[in-house]
Amino acid sequence: MDIKTTRTLSLVLRYLVLVAIILFLLFPIYWMLATSFKTNMEAYQYPPTFFPSEVSVSSYLSLFTQNNQFFVYYVNNFIVSGITALICTLVSIITGYAIARFNIRWTVLVAALLVFTQMFPIVSRMISLYGLMSDIGLINTRTGLILAISAAQIPFCATLMSSFFRNVPKEIEEAAYVDGAGRNRILFSVITPLVKPGMLAVGIYAFLQTWDDYLHAATLIQSDNLRTLSIGISLRYLGELSYDWSLINAISVIGTIPMVLVFFFFQKYMVKGLVAGAVKG
Amino acid sequence: MRSLTKKRGDMYYAMALTLPAVILALLFIFIPIIDSVIKSFQDYKVRNIIGNIPGEWNNFENYTKIFQSGALPNAVVNTFSFVILVILCQFVLGMALALVLNSNVKCARFFRSIMMTPWVVPTVISALIWMWLFQPQYGLFKYIVEVFTGGRVTDFAMLNNPSTALLGVSIAALWKQIPLMTLLLLAGLQNVPTDILEAATIDGAGSVRKFFRITLPYLSPVVKVSISMSIIENFKQFPLFWTMTGGGPDGATTNLAILSYREAFVSMNMGSGAAVTTIWMALMIVTIGVYNRLFRTQDLS
Repeated sequence: MDIKTTRTLSLVLRYLVLVAIILFLLFPIYWMLATSFKTNMEAYQYPPTFFPSEVSVSSYLSLFTQNNQFFVYYVNNFIVSGITALICTLVSIITGYAIARFNIRWTVLVAALLVFTQMFPIVSRMISLYGLMSDIGLINTRTGLILAISAAQIPFCATLMSSFFRNVPKEIEEAAYVDGAGRNRILFSVITPLVKPGMLAVGIYAFLQTWDDYLHAATLIQSDNLRTLSIGISLRYLGELSYDWSLINAISVIGTIPMVLVFFFFQKYMVKGLVAGAVKG
Repeated sequence: MRSLTKKRGDMYYAMALTLPAVILALLFIFIPIIDSVIKSFQDYKVRNIIGNIPGEWNNFENYTKIFQSGALPNAVVNTFSFVILVILCQFVLGMALALVLNSNVKCARFFRSIMMTPWVVPTVISALIWMWLFQPQYGLFKYIVEVFTGGRVTDFAMLNNPSTALLGVSIAALWKQIPLMTLLLLAGLQNVPTDILEAATIDGAGSVRKFFRITLPYLSPVVKVSISMSIIENFKQFPLFWTMTGGGPDGATTNLAILSYREAFVSMNMGSGAAVTTIWMALMIVTIGVYNRLFRTQDLS
């Protein structure tokens, strides 16, 4: 085989791999969109149609008008994810700074503990938190849910944040110290503005993770009006309406859109943050 | 003198800054974990929570019961099969995609961006998407299998068949996780020095040889971290299983997460659920330990 054929062959192979994997990753998204724009009658046609024969928004209409308990879950999910992201970012700033800046026994211990906590399964914590939180009246409240999820997210977020603080040169801090700035001023007005990309990465990560939460809400929330998206969808729509796949796909589309928007809008920071956390951290 | 007071000040300041995280971790992670390990040795059910009755030591009964019923060994096998299958396929496919995107294909940036979409789809929704594809009467997969087998298999139901259900959940997990693996490997590939690769090409090394001798060793720190992240995630996988199969059919997809949730929150036997999670934690720590060990010796050779 001469060099030219080998090269063409490897090029063809490369595009084959690319197309096959991208198809695997993107076709299900297309299928969700296509089904959501079919009438439920057409969704139940066999063999299935690859394009909706008539584009119908009836599932979306029914979602907005009749089956709109969905939006209660949706709003709850925004509230819980938003507040959790805020708490995680704030706590990660101070914790991450301490871990990155002070190399003393205490911070080394804290950093190790934070890594260790990520190995514990959620069910194990919930078995005990279920009872403990009933005792202090935090069960079935948003506050309890937010605190429990925040505690679970902070270890990774703080570790990620510390990798951003490590990249800030120590000289900046020393210069501010010579100028007579106090510790808090140095941290909050001098150093923190320099790690804005890190704050965004951590905030978005916490938001995405909380948006995805299932187990915390499944065990800590009992009343329907406080339920979040994942648990709401699986309890209400998979139970009662599982015959309406067009509606379920419309729910899937609406439930995914915020995540896709957040990700593509902040992609630069997200990718940098995740790579920094996993590859260098 | 001044530096000594500064040092002490540093310590107090570091303690104050880490206090919120430490308190949250103690209250919502460490104390509950210890408490659940204690409960795993007790007869502790929902009536204990309602009546505020402390649990009673029951002579390892939680452990012996779940072990003898066969539920625990089954869940352990399912958990490990799932973790190994997903991680192997994820690594091979993720690496293939990363290598292709790192070579000079057209629109690599565009593909790198859109391939991340499954990663941001919420887990429960990705479960729904795949349940619909695998749907036993009208699903697309049934149709594809029918076409490819020339009409011989007309009742293919991935999630309803005990021998394929775990594969079905694994495909959904792969779909959601390949993007992140690819992204991390791609970031690692950019750190592989191109001059060494070029030098090897001049020396006549083939691309397979270059991959195993140069690229992979340079990637190994990234590979190590991303696989250990993936082990932890898949060891803990709950929502995909719970939504897609609920652990069935016939226990074929009951992993440790499902088993412990079922024991604790469906049968409302917290003690038994805690016994499952305690074994689960021990297995996870041992697995990660062994994994780190294996990887270290491999680095040396």
